[in-house]
This record gives sequence, structure tokens and C-alpha cells, in this order.
Amino acid sequence: MDAVSWSVAAPAVGAAFVASLVEVVEAFTIVLAVATLRGWRPAVTGTFAALGVLGVLIVSLGPLLDRVPLHVLQLAIGVLLLLFGMGWLRKAVLRSAGVIPLHDEDAAFAAETEALAEQAKRKHTSLDWIAGLASFKAVLLEGLEVVFIVIAVGAGRGLLWPAAFGALAACVVVLAIGVVVHRPLARVPENTLKFGVGVMLSAFGVFWTGEGLGVDWPGQDLVLLIFVVLFVATGVATAALLRRPSVEVPQ
Amino acid sequence: MTLLRDVVSELFGMFVTDARLSVAILVLVAAVAGLIAKFDLDPLVGGAILFLGCHLILIEAAVREARRRRS
Repeated sequence: MDAVSWSVAAPAVGAAFVASLVEVVEAFTIVLAVATLRGWRPAVTGTFAALGVLGVLIVSLGPLLDRVPLHVLQLAIGVLLLLFGMGWLRKAVLRSAGVIPLHDEDAAFAAETEALAEQAKRKHTSLDWIAGLASFKAVLLEGLEVVFIVIAVGAGRGLLWPAAFGALAACVVVLAIGVVVHRPLARVPENTLKFGVGVMLSAFGVFWTGEGLGVDWPGQDLVLLIFVVLFVATGVATAALLRRPSVEVPQ
Repeated sequence: MTLLRDVVSELFGMFVTDARLSVAILVLVAAVAGLIAKFDLDPLVGGAILFLGCHLILIEAAVREARRRRS
């Protein structure tokens, strides 16, 4: 891989890795709650069933991407990335400013464990079944986001495999740490990661949308770095503005 | 059915966390596309409008939400 293609692949792999890290941590919290409550069997069964569904989705939808003209694909993915990335960035800015509370994996773990026990009591159903289903749903829903991110950052330039490698690496890292510590990964700086992911996805979104509209960006892929720096600057400045209690939010 | 509803709601939620933010992005992209296609705007200028527009939309969405929650 030459220097220019590395300049494209590195952000794609990095974005897929960091974004997937956030999603996998969230899924892991629920799978761990299931395992703590009912043992690893329903947790692992639900997880593998969800991974199977995601695999089928990728295998059946993946080849369709090759049939879409490149500019249309870039525009569609660019717009979806903008919608997704700017949503994340907005939330990360608000969390960073203290407007909305930070995501707490310990609290999510406690809430999930309690909800599972409640559900089993209320429905008089086998707890193993409910636990397996909870695990399945968590992995499927968070996995859908991972699949989208991999496709979004990888499909525009034929970087699906490097992006998928980034996502897979995130799964391995979370699982390895999770197996060792055997508790929710509450110390992961989730909002900082989400801020970073929001920035990267927004930068990719502007880049691909522009390419889809026929923009020939100066510096080609290197312009992504400028986009990232300026999105970080805007996000940090907005969070700082909203954090100042003495300053009235502009009407 | 609950699972299917959750999947649809997750997919919708992925792209529409704030309806006004999403609509503003779509309008911006459509406007830039229209300016390039119909008014022969230099695509690079269109790209710059898109980039700056995204920053303004982000600032407006964050400030609006902060104002709403603090009022």
C-alpha cells in the first residue's frame, strides 16, 4: 500500500475501530449482565445468533454495493454519514458541556440486570430464554451500527476490508479486556471516544458528499485531516460556550 | 414483532437523533447540489458551503438543545 492509500486507509480503519469500540462496549455491558444473571450459555448463544444474522445481512447486501454507481454510492453514504456523525457530535458536545449526563456503563449494567429479573418475574417465562433474547438484541442492534460504520467509511474507496479489520480489532480488544476484568468497562472514556467518532464520521460525511456532488477536493484525501481539525475546533468551542454558566446561551 | 420494531427504531434513531438537525443537513445538501447542477456553481465552492454549513448546523443544534434543557 503506498503513502497516499495509507492516508485514506488509516482514517477509515481508525474511524471503524473507535466507533466499533464504543458500540461493542455497550453490547458487552448487556451481554455481561445476562451472563452474570443466568450464566454464559444464554449470553453466548444470543451473541452468536445475532452475529449470524449480521453475517447473513452483510453477505446478502454486500454484493449489491458493487452495482451502485460510485458517485451515487458516495453521495448516499456521505449524507448518511453526515446524519449519523453530526448526531453523535451534537450529543458529545452536549455531554461535554454538562447539558446532558455522561453515559455510565455501571448504571447501564445495573439497569439491565434489574430489567431482566423484572421481565422474567412478570412474564413467567424461562429466564434463560429472556436472557438469551436480551443478549441477541443488544448484539444485533449495536452490531447494525458497526456494520453501517464499516460500510460507510469503507465502501466509498474500496476499503471495506481494512474498515472491517478495524471493527474486528475493536471486538477483540473489548472481549480481551472484558474477559480479564470481568465487569462493565466503565472506565472507557466513552464520551471522548464518541466525540472523536462524531468528528471523524462528520469529516468523512462532508468528504464523500462533496465527492458525490463532483467536488475535486484540494489535496484529495489529505483534506480529511483539515476537516477533522476544524470539526474538533468547532465542537470544543461550542462545548466551552455552553459550559460557561455565567454566559446566557445566545437567543 | 417487538424485536423488529426495536431494529427499525434503532435504524431510524441512528440517523435522526434531532429531527431539525437531520432536516437542516438534507436541505443543505440539496441546496448545494441544486446550486452546482442548475447554476453552474464551482463544485469546490459548493464543497466549501457544505463544510461551513455543517458547522453552523452543528452549533445551532447544540445551542438550541442546551437552551431547551435549561429553560
